[in-house]
This record gives sequence, structure tokens and C-alpha cells, in this order.
Amino acid sequence: MNPRSCVNIHKEWDIVGARQLGREMAKEIGFGTVDQARIATAVSELARNIYLYAKNGQVCFEYIYTNSQKGILMTAVDTGPGIKDISRVMQDGYTTSGGLGAGLPGVKRLMDEFDIESAAGEGTKIKAIKWIR
Amino acid sequence: MRIPILKLHNYLLISIQTEIDDQTAIKFQEDLLAKIHKTGATGVVIDLTSVDIIDSFIAKVLGDVVSMSDLMGARVVLTGIQPAVAMTLIDLGIHLQNVPTALDLEQGLVKLHQELGG
Amino acid sequence: MDANLKELMISNSDSIVDSWMDEVGRIKSGNYTASISDELYENTNREFVNVIFTSIQNQGSSKVVEEFSEKMINLGWPLSYITDGLQVFRRVTIEFLLKQADQVDSSHFSNVLTSVDEWIEPLIRQLVNEYSGSWENILSLQRVALQELSAPLIPVMEGITVMPLIGTIDTDRAKLIMENLLEGAIKHNSEVVLIDITGVPVVDTMVAHHIIQAAEAVRLIGSTCILVGIRPEIAQTIINIGIDLSKFPTRSSLKKGFTRALEITGRTVVDLPSKNQGIDEIMNALKGE
Repeated sequence: MNPRSCVNIHKEWDIVGARQLGREMAKEIGFGTVDQARIATAVSELARNIYLYAKNGQVCFEYIYTNSQKGILMTAVDTGPGIKDISRVMQDGYTTSGGLGAGLPGVKRLMDEFDIESAAGEGTKIKAIKWIR
Repeated sequence: MRIPILKLHNYLLISIQTEIDDQTAIKFQEDLLAKIHKTGATGVVIDLTSVDIIDSFIAKVLGDVVSMSDLMGARVVLTGIQPAVAMTLIDLGIHLQNVPTALDLEQGLVKLHQELGG
Repeated sequence: MDANLKELMISNSDSIVDSWMDEVGRIKSGNYTASISDELYENTNREFVNVIFTSIQNQGSSKVVEEFSEKMINLGWPLSYITDGLQVFRRVTIEFLLKQADQVDSSHFSNVLTSVDEWIEPLIRQLVNEYSGSWENILSLQRVALQELSAPLIPVMEGITVMPLIGTIDTDRAKLIMENLLEGAIKHNSEVVLIDITGVPVVDTMVAHHIIQAAEAVRLIGSTCILVGIRPEIAQTIINIGIDLSKFPTRSSLKKGFTRALEITGRTVVDLPSKNQGIDEIMNALKGE
């Protein structure tokens, strides 16, 4: 009833695969083009983080429904080194990879709900939801 | 996969038509700089009309390409950024502050022509 | 049993109608229908009670009810008039039917109650549905209208587009504004987009932030954004709360902004000589006479 689709991330091209799946699922449930782009971009950021820092992980999508709204939930899970200081990675401009440092805080702004759990040495789990307006 | 770079007088024209992955982006950066070096082009237009995702990595590569080309004496204009892409970039907090933009390829060429005082 | 009761009720419709009219007439004073003339009120009551009877007689014929409710909605009669009227009808009918029986035991009593309920309930349901359906319809129309109003985009000239903003800007509206702005700029191929905030009552950090984001997105798609309609008090708040608008061209009025937009697109306004010439010619012609 509530299908869940996942993409395993272990090579660079998987990032593209993940964002294509994210965009398709967003389109199917009825997101507009702008929100499709937001979701696909958020997927891209999360998948890249997995590829860069954890090497191995998974990005999953599922539709969620409440009484008043519907949306898409994405979960990015990896078993990499984890994040020591979460508040720091949520700051704009903080980067360890030489990127723009827009990744995680950017994802938070792109999506409606954002939740991150991480422990050093145990990996990271990020959940993000976008509701249909 | 390689992104083709066309030469027109002093200008280089690039239209990105495919989904860009990180390798393609980096390869493109190298190719473009090599081409500027070889041709001595003074202006570059990169058309992004068909690109529907620019994430923070691609944005960084594009911003870098603009600054690097500037160093080599070639002015770069980005054209045809889609509304959805622009909004996503703003949400990400990426403003590409020093990158010149234009609505389409034609206006991009006009802009280069003006800036280069041609 | 059921059919008997119904026959009893219908054959005595006159006396039921009388006591119904009586009671409903009493409700009128001091409530929602107080401003309606007595004559119209009575006519409507008569029509209403006719509809009730026709509907019960025909086992819930929906056509009559539909027409009646449509009329009531168009004339703006409140739903409470309908529900009150039906409640009174229920009470009056039950009272009447119970009085007809020589002897009231509990089974007869419950029989009367169920029967009357069975007659009235489909009516209530249908009327309430018609009313709420019409409200929902109005609501969705208004929502669409509001959305269209909230971020209008006017292409005034080749390459120049104006978006006048009126009213408070919240996050949802800001998103809509940005989408309309960008899509419109591309659709009309606008080199310059003017955002007119004359009609925005308060510009706080939040609103300024949204406007700055919109202006930056406009720059990304390759167009230029000019912020116009900055009133003195807005200029004061913007500087006092420390918002940096220096990266964007701003103008105090739409007129000045438009002039700037013309400059950017390489144009200028020229007075045509013909107007003055026309007057000169007339003057000369007058002199000649």
C-alpha cells in the first residue's frame, strides 16, 4: 500500500540515479516542477554526503499521508564515520570537503521537515519530509 | 560523457544538455580551460536551459569555472537558468554573486559584446 | 403502520401546517430573519412547508428540494432558518400524531418518532448538503481569485515587466511571488523586472528577506530586478534593522524605476513634436482668420 523505494549509494553515478528516482516519485504524487527540483536537489546533497564521507549507504523514498496532507519522506542512512558535532555541520558555510558548505543546512531549507541522528563511528541517519502545498 | 564546446569567432559556446554528474562537471571544467588556452577566446556563454538540477557541487564547479576563466582573460556568462533551479539555489543559500547571467543565449552574447567593449 | 401514519399526517396537513406556521412565525422575532418583511416571510414559510410535504409524499423527491434550496441560497436565507424550520416541523408533527391516537403506549410512541424521523432526515441531509456544497464552491473560487491577486505580473513593454505587491507578505505568499516572478520573467523574456512594494504596509526583516531572495533568484535567471515604491518610513525601517539592499537597484517610485528600466534596456522617452505642433498650427490658423 505504501511502497518504499531505495537506491544504494556506493559509486558516484548512484547520486544521479537517486535524484532521478526522487524526482520521479515527487512528480507522481503531484508535486509541482519547483518542488520537484527542490526534492531532487536535496536528494543529490544527501546522496553526495554518503558517497563522500561514508562510501556506502542508502537513500529511500516513501509517500506519507496524514489527515490533512500528503508528502514524500526521504531517509538517507549510512554506516560511515558519523558526525561528531551536528550543530556545526548545520551551520551555513561549514565544509570539510572544499565544497560550498551549503549541503545540510541547504537540505533543511529545501525540505519542510528535517531530522538528523548521528553518533561518531556508528553512522548517520537523516530524515526529511516535503509536504505538498 | 563529454560536454561539447563550440567556437564562434572569439567566443566559446556551451549548451549543457545532459544530466551532469560530478565527473562530467570536473571534466568539463578541464576541457573548457584547455579550450580557452588553445583558442584565446575572450568570452564564454554557458547555456543551462536544459539543466533541471544544480546542486551545491555543480554550483561550486560552475562558480569556479567562471573565476578560473576570468583569470585566463575570458569572461563567462551563464544563461537560461530555469526558475525552479534558481529557487533551489536560493534555498541552498547559493547566490553565485559574481557570476554574470542572462536570459538566453542571444542576450548572453549581447552582454559579452557590451562588457568586452566590442 | 408506517403508511397509516403517513396518510393520517397528509390528510391532516392543514392543521399541521397551521401550527407549524404559528411556531415558525414566533421564531422570527429577534433573530436572523428579523429584517425580512412579514409578507415575504410568510410566503417563504408557505413554500417551505409545501416543499416539505411534497418531498415526504413522494418519498424524498429531490427535484423540488433542489430547486427550493437553490432559491434560498441565492436569496441568502441562512441555513439556520432551514434547520429550525425542519426541527419545528418534526416537533409539531410528532405532537399532532400522538394526539390522534386514543391510547399512547411505548411502541406506538417509538413508531411515531421513527416514522417522522425517516421523513425528515433525508430532507435535512439534502438541504444541508446543498448549502455546504455552495459554500465550498464559493470558498474554492475565492481561493483561486486570491491566488491570482496575490502575485500579479504585468508585462508593460518589450523586456520590462512589473509586479505590484499589495498587502501582507507571508512565507507561502513569498514562494508564490517568487514562482510567478521567475516564470513570468522567462515567459515574457523580461530583461528587467520591477517589484512595486507601494502597497506593502509593513516591511520587516522577514518580508525584506523574501524580497531579497526573489531579487537574487531573478538575477540568477539572467534578468535584473528593481525594487520600487520605497516610502520614507520603509527606507527608515530597512536601514534601522540593518538590512542590506545595496546590491539591488532601488527607486522611490514606479515612475523612476521604469525610467531606469528603460535605460537598462537601452531606451529613452522622447516627447513627440507633433503635439506642440498641433497647437501651434491651431494658433496660427486662428491668427489667420
